[in-house]
Amino acid sequence: MVCVAAMGHSTATGIHILLFARLREQAGWAERWWPLATTADERVTPRLLWQALALPGNLEAVRVTINQRFASADTLLQPGDELAFLPPISGG
Amino acid sequence: MSAQIRLRIELRSERFDPAALLAQWQEELTVPCEQASATTAAAESVFIGRMRPTAADGVALTALELEHYPGMTERQLDRLALECCTRHGATSCLVLHRIGRVLPGEAIVMVATGADRRGPAQRSCQELVEALKHDAPFWKREWRSDGRGEWLNGNTPL
Repeated sequence: MVCVAAMGHSTATGIHILLFARLREQAGWAERWWPLATTADERVTPRLLWQALALPGNLEAVRVTINQRFASADTLLQPGDELAFLPPISGG
Repeated sequence: MSAQIRLRIELRSERFDPAALLAQWQEELTVPCEQASATTAAAESVFIGRMRPTAADGVALTALELEHYPGMTERQLDRLALECCTRHGATSCLVLHRIGRVLPGEAIVMVATGADRRGPAQRSCQELVEALKHDAPFWKREWRSDGRGEWLNGNTPL
């Protein structure tokens, strides 16, 4: 069951999810909280959240960061993590 | 910050003059700081990237919008610069990058590296430019003269 909480939840009890640029505009939101208790048995990964949030496009074309470091989409998330989905980068 | 590498990373929301800031940086390098001694590199390499006046399809551009990931972008630039300079033996590194709205012809990025020889200076500069284009979280949206804005999918070829 997908459950996306409203803003204002403690980072210690959930996952802070961020979207940027084209992906943010396609999804229609910039940040959300995903409730996740420290004691929960559920195994939550970026891939699972991508699917649960019905984010647009192909996850394979997106880069995942956890706590501001690049990570695999199959990394197990922990309460308090900051997760971001990054569309193709174009700096410099 | 490494004890051997003089490093500065800055994101700038306003237009900057690359030549003036490079001269200022070079002057600062001649003065010791808390983390490193004074350095006057025998070799320096500088890259300046500017906003193009036209899109890939030839349509005139009015502006470029540069979005970034606050916090991660700065940390990632720091990591990339330190790794690159350490790998090549560069002794100084300046990275200035615009964020926000950029106009045609304005500098988007400047990378300046210093080393004891031209090889490390040139290699570290080129490698760092490529690294930040591919691994630092920035996104460009081109604003076209027809009023449309389009996010770019990746970078122009080397």
